[in-house]
Amino acid sequence: MKKLLFGAIVLFNTCLINAQENGNFYGGLESNSQWYQTDEGINFIAPEDQFRANNYVTLNYNLGKFTAGLQYESYLPSALLGYAPVYDGGNDVATYYLNYKDNSLDITGGYFYEQFGSGLILRSWEDRQLGINNAFKGVNIKFKATEYLDFKAVFGRQRNGFEESSGTIQGLDADLSVSNALNIDNVDIQMGLSYVARNQDTEGNQALPSTVGAYGGRLDLIFNDFYVGAEAILKDPDAIVIEGQLASNKLYDGTALLVNAGYATKGLGINASFRRLENFSFYSDRFAEGNIYNQEVINYVPALTKQQDYMLTNIYVYNAQSRLIIETYDQRAGEVGAQFDLYYSFKKGTSLGGKYGTKLAFNFSYWGGLDAEYNIENKWYEAKFIGSGPQLFRDVNLEIKKTWSKKWSSVFTYQNVLIDKGVVQGGSFGKNTIYANIGVIEATRKFNKGKSARFVAQHLWTDQDRKNWVAGVFEYNFSSKLALYVADNWNYGGLDEIHYYSVGGSYSKGNARLGLNYGRQRGGLICIGGVCRFVPENTGLSANLTITF
Amino acid sequence: MKNLFLALCLLLISMPSFAQDELPNVDLKTMEGKNVVLKEATNKEGITVISLWATWCVPCLKELDAINEIYFEWQEEVNVELIAVSVDDSRTVKRVKSLVNGKDWDFSVLLDTNNDLKRALNASTIPLTILVKDNKIVFKHSGYNPGSELELFEKIMELSK
Repeated sequence: MKKLLFGAIVLFNTCLINAQENGNFYGGLESNSQWYQTDEGINFIAPEDQFRANNYVTLNYNLGKFTAGLQYESYLPSALLGYAPVYDGGNDVATYYLNYKDNSLDITGGYFYEQFGSGLILRSWEDRQLGINNAFKGVNIKFKATEYLDFKAVFGRQRNGFEESSGTIQGLDADLSVSNALNIDNVDIQMGLSYVARNQDTEGNQALPSTVGAYGGRLDLIFNDFYVGAEAILKDPDAIVIEGQLASNKLYDGTALLVNAGYATKGLGINASFRRLENFSFYSDRFAEGNIYNQEVINYVPALTKQQDYMLTNIYVYNAQSRLIIETYDQRAGEVGAQFDLYYSFKKGTSLGGKYGTKLAFNFSYWGGLDAEYNIENKWYEAKFIGSGPQLFRDVNLEIKKTWSKKWSSVFTYQNVLIDKGVVQGGSFGKNTIYANIGVIEATRKFNKGKSARFVAQHLWTDQDRKNWVAGVFEYNFSSKLALYVADNWNYGGLDEIHYYSVGGSYSKGNARLGLNYGRQRGGLICIGGVCRFVPENTGLSANLTITF
Repeated sequence: MKNLFLALCLLLISMPSFAQDELPNVDLKTMEGKNVVLKEATNKEGITVISLWATWCVPCLKELDAINEIYFEWQEEVNVELIAVSVDDSRTVKRVKSLVNGKDWDFSVLLDTNNDLKRALNASTIPLTILVKDNKIVFKHSGYNPGSELELFEKIMELSK
């Protein structure tokens, strides 16, 4: 093995020296570690392996049309709290690839990340904060047949921690620019077709299908400042799995529909999205359905709500509900809802715009469970297209950004939110609803030589759940390299009146950045890109180091 | 083992460069859904500022708003173009067009929905701002603090000499 490696490296060297054009190496290191400490104030008992670190090293080499790379990952002695247990103790090369790319052809062997359409039918991606890396291992081919026709193919198995999922995924996608193909000038028309199938051993269960396919189509139109698009997916019947067990041998098909429309012109943008999901869970192992770590998920079904930016607006967040459950008390069949966004700039020099302009952002969303009838005895259900199912989430957000002078600027945010407690904590829907109002004022003061200070004051009002909260952040930037902050979230309305305090800072120099934080982490959903994971409450010192080269 | 070490040394010696100086060869999309090769979208004569951002990233929006305020002044003084590359995924990418118009930004915006550029640049956090000259990466900076757009412009002036 060593001789082989030696030979390979020598050969590689020779190639390098002989190659006309010289390639280059690039990559990066990311290390996220935490030292957990027992904290009676929040009833947190530190785990036995108190110090944990997630480390990622990537290295890529590019030479002309070829690129090769690998990613080394270690989670020692265990992964950070809240990460999927499959990562615990992992210490190995996790992904590697070899890619060839020219003007019409793009081929990858090894691990790759791919997306069809909006990802509703297939998407593999990496998010280290969320602990998601569902890269496919296999072959990915992208081919530009003509100026207006693109094809993509994927074939492989999904990564599950340091192992492979038991299902094999095959997918095909075609994207056609109709307006280019037919030389239409006044309307831009784009359409696409996708097919994704999972093949999995049924282990002798005759009732289960070995192949479950999903079929999707999409159409996008742009006409001057208006645009509209739709995507629809139909998934073959498959059994329902609850916590790793087959609910029954009965099969149910699934559907997804996404419609989007908007208007955008200088100074004004409007966008509206509608989505309906019915029994739309798609995992590369059917027994992984509904796992809370999002492992082995084939498609991307994010919550279509505003991504919140502040500590208190991140307490009540929505998580997309796509599952079908018939037999247990927490029955559900999917979700339906919509979201609306508006962005507007008041012109400089007008009364509302002032000298430096004023920017406004408005967002509204409503999500409900599907209105369905269930028959437990016959394992049957019937859902209406929209109907009036349980209200799961509704929020209204208003944000005003104003620059007052060269030195002062501020942001005002108001959110009114309604959320079903089953979404926040898990469990059945329609029992408890939380109503909350949140106000945030943020001000930034610039000083000379890159120095600046930022103040954030936040308040959350609610009569339910943990009652009222107040929070504050003060951040001081000594330069573009060094920043320090102190923050506190105080649940003064709650039973224990807990303070979730934290202090920290970051220092960056050249390609390196180091962040240090000490304090309490409020437990709950951590959501990035609309995908969430639960993190337990904890206290400790954390360090984050990133270096790119 | 010694041989392996020797081979690795040889590898280091023969390695032409150990830093990402070449702009990655990735395809991005315009807001109208057209494919664009990043290397062909850059400013051939002068400096290109490429800023990775997302609709949900507050410091990114602050940085781009701040640059937008002084973008005309930049362009009057030196040959510079800004390409703001959105790494929004499909959850929020539909918001990009309305946000960009609503904010009245004057620079071009491209989409990196599959995060190919983000991965190729090892951008574990955004904003990430890079300066490109002759399709070579000449400067990288991650994060944004109020006022760091002025430092960025000093760097641009320095590089365009």
